[in-house]
Amino acid sequence: MKSATLLVAFTAFALASCASSPPPCEGPQTRNLAAAVDHVKGALGNGCAAHFDRYYDDLLRTAEGDPKPENKRVFSEFLVWSADEGILSQRQAKEYYNRYFNVKFMTLQGDYNNCSHTCPRRDRVLLDMERELGDKERGLLKVSLDNSGYYRADELFKEVELVLEATCTACAAGR
Amino acid sequence: MERCIPRTTAAAALCLFALAATGIAAANTNSPTIRLFPTTVVEDLRQTSSVAQEMETGLQEVIGRLDQQQQLYLESKCDGAEDDSGCQRLAKQIGATYLDMLGIMEERLPDMEHTVNNTRLSLEKRLRSELGNKMTSWTLQETLLGGNPPEGASAPSPSLRGRSGMRLSERFKQYYKLVASSSSSTDQSLAVLASDIYLDMEETSTLIARTREEIARATLIEQLNQSFGTITPEMMEIVGGVKSILFGDETSNVVIAGPPPGSVEQAYRSPLEQ
Repeated sequence: MKSATLLVAFTAFALASCASSPPPCEGPQTRNLAAAVDHVKGALGNGCAAHFDRYYDDLLRTAEGDPKPENKRVFSEFLVWSADEGILSQRQAKEYYNRYFNVKFMTLQGDYNNCSHTCPRRDRVLLDMERELGDKERGLLKVSLDNSGYYRADELFKEVELVLEATCTACAAGR
Repeated sequence: MERCIPRTTAAAALCLFALAATGIAAANTNSPTIRLFPTTVVEDLRQTSSVAQEMETGLQEVIGRLDQQQQLYLESKCDGAEDDSGCQRLAKQIGATYLDMLGIMEERLPDMEHTVNNTRLSLEKRLRSELGNKMTSWTLQETLLGGNPPEGASAPSPSLRGRSGMRLSERFKQYYKLVASSSSSTDQSLAVLASDIYLDMEETSTLIARTREEIARATLIEQLNQSFGTITPEMMEIVGGVKSILFGDETSNVVIAGPPPGSVEQAYRSPLEQ
């Protein structure tokens, strides 16, 4: 009798601990972007904010399955919501949006002049730009079908590469 | 108008007027204008083109003669019959023409080197000050993008990079024309153009210096060869190289099709966009 009580108590404790364990933070199972966004919003508001990167990637993958120009707006609204809810800072929201859906390279943010700041780390900057171009390919081309935007970003990357090569050579010659 | 140092009263008045006009022009524009091509750079480019043309004209005749002599040498089946006295005479003639070519190059290259270096140094100074010291990587990017281009407009792409396989003088003439008509160009294409020309000048400058060093050696070797009447493979290689540099390499003109045109849908602008 005593052991039966103990078993019941243990089961009750186990069930209670299950209820208070952290949520599983599962990704969206649907292929519909709007439904996936709703699912992600629910999960993020339910203690899964730490998984934001993974969720963003899930949403991109879902959108790649149904690419269209309107997807840009869906992502923008989702990021604005994330910032409003305090899941992301405004700066982070901008970073997430522009890295994937804008022609401009976030990698090139900086407050110091090119001779003193960009040129000494030119290889690193170009490598980061190349990575960002990969994200733009995903956001602009594969998610939003913005071919011209992506090709302009690709061209901009080549122009920056050329202009930095010349500028940094000129900076080095003036030292 | 970048340096206005008056020497007379009239010049001083002109200077003042010009400075005032520049000030008004600058005040009228909203965005800062980058000044990569002052008149000195444009003049340097024009001069480089004309010096290159002079060198080409001088070399054209001698290279034509070399071609004819080589043709004759091959048609006479002299390849492998070097002991034949007629072939030896032909080989000596080719060698002499080759020496003429080297002589012309030796005579014209210092001028070429001088004008190329002038252009390179002026551009270097401009690039350093306008793009290197006055801009951050972000403002440089914005300059290259040129604000907000109109929807559906194809981006300007002055991707020259001096690899066009065209005559040297023609290349400089193109640069000159592009720069001289740059009042209608936007800053973004000027930055790319200036970088392109500068890097091309850097390379050309190094090549000219190296060629000048090599000419002395090649002349000496050919003078020695003259005593034996032989045609070295190196000689043919140099002539071929000079021809492709000066008169263009046709195989480099292959154009690969570009990507399909982008979607013409009305682009969405996010409030997050920077």
